Amino acid sequence: MSAVDYSHEISVVEGKPALRELDDLIIKPLETKPNKNFLIALSITLGMLGFFVIGLGLTFYYGIGMWGNNNPVGWAFDIVNFVFWVGIGHAGTLISAILFLFRQKWRTGIARFAEGMTIFAVMTAALFPLIHIGRFWLPLYLMPYPNQHSLWVNFTSPLLWDVFAVSTYFTVSLIFWYVGLIPDFAILREKTENKIKKTIYSIFSLGWRFSNRHWQHYEMVYLILAGFATPLVLSVHTIVSFDFAVSILPGWHTTIFPPYFVAGAVFSGFAMVQNVLIIVRKIFHYEHIITLDTLEKMNKIMLLTGSLVGYAYGMEFFIAWYSGNPIEQFTFINRAFGPYAWAYWIMLTCNVVSPQLFWFKKIRRSIPIMFIVAVFVNVGMWFERFVIVVTSLANDFLPSSWAYYKPTYVDFMILIGSFGFFFTFILLFTKALPVVSMAEVKAVVDGAQPSHHDH
Amino acid sequence: MSSSFEKNKYWKSISDYNNSPESIKAKHDEFLEGVVDNFDSSKLSGMSRRKFLAVLSSSAALATTACSDYRDKGEIIPYNKRPEEILPGEANYYASTCTACSLACGILIKTREGRPIKIDGNPDHPVNKGKICAKGQSNILSLYDPERLKEPKFGNQTISWEEADFKVIEALNNAVKYNKQIVIFTDKIFSPTLKKLLNDFSVKYPTTKVYSYSLVNDKNKRDAWFESYGSYEIPSVKWNEAEIILSLDFDFLGNEGNFVENMRLFSEKREVVKKLDVNRLYVAEGRFSATGMMADYRLRISPNQQLEFIYAIINELSDAKVISVDTAVKNLVSKYSVEKFGSKEKINNLLKDLSQHKGKSIIQAGESLSKDVHIAVNYLNELLGNNNLYDWENLDSYYQIASAKEIEELIDDMNSEKVDVLIHLNSNPVFNLPQSFKYKEALKKVKNVITLTEAENETSYSSNITLPINHILESWGDAFNKTNVYSTLQPVINPIFNTRQKESILLSWINQKYDVNDFRLYLINNFNELIYNKLKPLTDQKTFWQTTLHDGVVKFEGDSTPKKFNTSSLSKLNNTNNKESFTLHLTESYYIGDGKFANNGWLQETPHPVTKVTWDNYAAISPKLAKKLNVEINDLVEITHNNQKVILPVMVQPGMSDNIIHTELGYGRSIIGEVGKDVGVNVIPLISKDLSLIVENVSVKKVDGKYQLVSTQEHHSLDDTFVKDLHRVRKIIQEGTVEEYKKNPKFLHEEKHELVSITREHEYKGNKWAMAIDLNKCTSCSACITSCNVENNIPVVGKDQVAVGREMQWMRIDRYYSGTPEEPIVSNQPMLCQHCDNAPCENVCPVNATNHSEDGLNQMVYNRCVGTRYCSNNCPYKVRRYNFFNFRDHFEDSYYENNLTAMVHNPEVTVRSRGVMEKCTFCVQRIMEARSNAIRDGKPLNGNDIKTACQVACPTNAISFGDANDINSEVAKLRKHDLSYHVLEELNVKPNVTYIAKLRNTHSEGVI
Repeated sequence: MSAVDYSHEISVVEGKPALRELDDLIIKPLETKPNKNFLIALSITLGMLGFFVIGLGLTFYYGIGMWGNNNPVGWAFDIVNFVFWVGIGHAGTLISAILFLFRQKWRTGIARFAEGMTIFAVMTAALFPLIHIGRFWLPLYLMPYPNQHSLWVNFTSPLLWDVFAVSTYFTVSLIFWYVGLIPDFAILREKTENKIKKTIYSIFSLGWRFSNRHWQHYEMVYLILAGFATPLVLSVHTIVSFDFAVSILPGWHTTIFPPYFVAGAVFSGFAMVQNVLIIVRKIFHYEHIITLDTLEKMNKIMLLTGSLVGYAYGMEFFIAWYSGNPIEQFTFINRAFGPYAWAYWIMLTCNVVSPQLFWFKKIRRSIPIMFIVAVFVNVGMWFERFVIVVTSLANDFLPSSWAYYKPTYVDFMILIGSFGFFFTFILLFTKALPVVSMAEVKAVVDGAQPSHHDH
Repeated sequence: MSSSFEKNKYWKSISDYNNSPESIKAKHDEFLEGVVDNFDSSKLSGMSRRKFLAVLSSSAALATTACSDYRDKGEIIPYNKRPEEILPGEANYYASTCTACSLACGILIKTREGRPIKIDGNPDHPVNKGKICAKGQSNILSLYDPERLKEPKFGNQTISWEEADFKVIEALNNAVKYNKQIVIFTDKIFSPTLKKLLNDFSVKYPTTKVYSYSLVNDKNKRDAWFESYGSYEIPSVKWNEAEIILSLDFDFLGNEGNFVENMRLFSEKREVVKKLDVNRLYVAEGRFSATGMMADYRLRISPNQQLEFIYAIINELSDAKVISVDTAVKNLVSKYSVEKFGSKEKINNLLKDLSQHKGKSIIQAGESLSKDVHIAVNYLNELLGNNNLYDWENLDSYYQIASAKEIEELIDDMNSEKVDVLIHLNSNPVFNLPQSFKYKEALKKVKNVITLTEAENETSYSSNITLPINHILESWGDAFNKTNVYSTLQPVINPIFNTRQKESILLSWINQKYDVNDFRLYLINNFNELIYNKLKPLTDQKTFWQTTLHDGVVKFEGDSTPKKFNTSSLSKLNNTNNKESFTLHLTESYYIGDGKFANNGWLQETPHPVTKVTWDNYAAISPKLAKKLNVEINDLVEITHNNQKVILPVMVQPGMSDNIIHTELGYGRSIIGEVGKDVGVNVIPLISKDLSLIVENVSVKKVDGKYQLVSTQEHHSLDDTFVKDLHRVRKIIQEGTVEEYKKNPKFLHEEKHELVSITREHEYKGNKWAMAIDLNKCTSCSACITSCNVENNIPVVGKDQVAVGREMQWMRIDRYYSGTPEEPIVSNQPMLCQHCDNAPCENVCPVNATNHSEDGLNQMVYNRCVGTRYCSNNCPYKVRRYNFFNFRDHFEDSYYENNLTAMVHNPEVTVRSRGVMEKCTFCVQRIMEARSNAIRDGKPLNGNDIKTACQVACPTNAISFGDANDINSEVAKLRKHDLSYHVLEELNVKPNVTYIAKLRNTHSEGVI
């Protein structure tokens, strides 16, 4: 029969696995000793983290001068990495909060993992504002605390908004994640035989007894938190974009930045989640939980946000021309054809051209190709921030102060190290917590809901 | 109600209620017994409340301080007996004379608590009038150079002065005894007392011969003047009266002639504000000099064509019957025509101008050009009646320079072992004499080589005895700036090391004993003979000496009768050799001089006025020649002359002649302190034995390899249409011509829009500080930059950091080219913090470290700054400077943090640490000083009392500073002038640095 049966929803979990099987499958990585592959992966990420430590050590010992930043280019890899990682942190909350509110059931398989990535990405991102300041030992000055000097922070500075936006986002994401974990902690508490684990799980499950009343409160809290987190998804990157949009620098001072940044963030966030999930579902045999359909849906979102980003690139050029401001026009022509043209074209190819492949269903559903495209998107999005931050600064108002920016080895150490930092947490996460929400997945298994049909 | 209630309404106890006697007594005493009256601390516990709190707070304070690393651990020791003239916190000023070069400008040295911290021009000095150049400003760092020679040395051994003196006197006596020569090889001598001392030395030791040598000198000019006017004393030029100036490769605004005086006089005639009085400057040069940048018309004529050019001008003018020329000369010049010298239009303008402004024009030739050129120039000035622009009252005093022939004789004498003692008096011939003389080899034949020097150098390494001498700030002395301007040197600090001043050393060898006061008395004696007896003032000798010392200078009537031109000099004119050879033109470095200042980081890091290159010299070649040689900037070329080869990096310099290479001297010092070691390339080997700085017949070829030249401004190809003329498109540089201005004085603001602010803006009710910079006057000499460096404790960052754009100078002079690569037009613009009313840096700082003061200053609070660099990113002028490292100790090329060098710091200005943003403060410390003085005197603060460091230094008075709210102030008037504009006005950041647009004095109305 060619007609689609709309009478009941297509299950987001393939097959009809027994609920106990699902529990066991999800708990398995927590109950088994790490295997060789895990240890190899961990040693790689720890090695990368080592670069981070050395790079930071050099920076802290000698100063920001160890980086390539120069006089017109006050911000470079530091802020590029910050915006990149904040962007990565966007998919998680979008998936768990916004898609939750829109009743997108396919989110259940990936929500927990995406949220975890959000937490780790925001942690990674939050490091950069701290290390990019020249006197890293004085970050408290960025906090409004009463002091005898009557010194207060400057609330007109977008950098301060950043501090609040990122910390709020991190806090809310963390609470949201934790609330979502409570029923799972309870399941773990029940399953585990290890006494220490049992104690820990007992503490974190807050006395969860699967009672109807618990579930009622839980659902309500989750809904409220989802509602609370939803505007944050939009606000964080909006505020990050204000770092640039509020300045007067041509190439930064653009009103399109807030939506453009949010779209870009979702774009890169989804690409990163997709990349990591493809590996996770393979290793842990979650193919039926994190289904190809789910991945395809993510690809569709990437196609949408990628096209939005492409539109923003075009619109920036249009507005530069339309504004009649010669300095603005120069900045954009300079991006595409100036000394950093290479970075611009990498960005454009990766971000605008490559996701267009997702118009084809075959490509959308081909795991190797979608993986490569998502890698491209991540590279492209990193370069997008590079293009915005560096090219605008390097060639600004007065030609006399122009200078070409070249990163140093320390810049690369910190960039690589930030990936090490992020992936170390991801790896530890896969071994410490259920990467898929057992409670939620069980709820969407075909037949788990009451229906008019027979079971 | 009972009566008892009325009696005592409130009661504390029954006894109180009953008004018992105890209670009455207790009430009377107010406090209970034992609390106040019979307080006995011994009855209390050992720890009283007070003591407890004291112990608590002190231990808390101890605990916190014990754990904190208080960075500044320097000792502060108060005077236990205050010297009479020192008031801590108050500066003392002493007048002296600068000896950084032979101009001998008058200086005023600022000292704080006995420590010299700043050198400025002496405002009472009649010649330099309070201005000195970049070298003079930065010379203070050389005083605190930790690599100065600290002790006398015999070979590598440190010896005492007594031993050294004994050895030298023995050698001198022996030389006289065996009738061997004693040679004193000295730098230029412009001190009359040193001259007398050398005479006395020759009397004491009769076999003495004195050679005065300087590679860069004006000998040709002096000799020509002698031929023409029978005197070596050349009058100053009244540049301020010249309508037309033709400079033949004469960098009179750069580093030739009395350039400090020249700049001041020249700029008086580039006046557009008070009245429109603008001269027209023609510069004919092959290289691109600082003077060339100021030219209204620039002709590209290589130095070996200059003779032909001046002959051709004489010929043309005589053909046009403007001048009547001696027949012999006419015969000589008749074959020359101006046609080959570039644009016909320019040359015709020049000829027309010269003929129309007879008596009001002046032609001057460069110091490196031949005697012929100078004689021809003298002659032409005479014929055009321009000799009335000679200022016969101001004659440059003469100092003798040994000729190439004399030097060769000396070397012959050395080789034939006729010289027994050779004393290098503050000279460095091993470096400064071309290697073809083989001076170093000849030194080996001299028994006793004695070098008197401030720091080890190439010559001291070939000496037996090296004696450390005082810096000028530790020395007594005198100088003739002009023949009738006598100025004195006085020490402002005790010698820091075990040094003696060079004159004292010579005197001690004459007297056979040393006393620190001997030379001072000798100087006073000579002063009395030379000046007191001549002027016969009414005061006694001592008072007159002290007055002179206080003022630093005394001017008297000299012989001011104009000299007659001697036509016989024309017979000395030669034919041109007429060869089209490839020429290397060498000039002295603008900032490190002949290498004397190579160890001075501030000067090494001052960008070249034209190329903006720091820390290097290079082969500057025209773009066309670069194409021919197939080289680009940073490629290497090998220059060969007389079998000597030198490899230099290439700098493609627009506007140069296509058949010359221009290079600066003074670089490539090999034996010197850490700062100057191996900076640049020594090109002296290419110089022939005639010592001419115009080296003809050189060959040049590309060699493999690359070298990184670093500059403070990126180089763009001039024909790159993408970035061409951006400074004009963006209205960073706004210029016009005199004609345009005459026609429409408001031409600059024709297209101006009304800028609307959407917020209510702050009103400045009291003072509002503002600056105005007249671009007509700025010659890009960089005295302002160096003055700012010294005043504001700007660190030296080194070549590697300049390469990555981290130079720290708060002020820079931006240079923009327009026009074609062959005929570029240069615009200069001093750029510093604009102290915007709507400063974009302020609202982005998250910690409020940069904010606005009541009186319009954009302030930087270093303590609060965490170093996000956001302010710098948002600054459209990019004038903020960030401490990427602790530049006090992070300096690849040198030391910075040591106890000695730290003494140069201005105690009124915070020394910034790493991670902090900094920028121009409008010299807030000076504003504060003026404010406290005004409060002390009970007077309102007047903006005219405040002079910023750059303003004080500017030789052309291009910078004005003051209170914009005071309608009578110069700044307020300049802000309203028709030619005033702000850079990037359309951003509405409301900068408080106003620029006065440059007017070019060309014949047309368009700038390009």
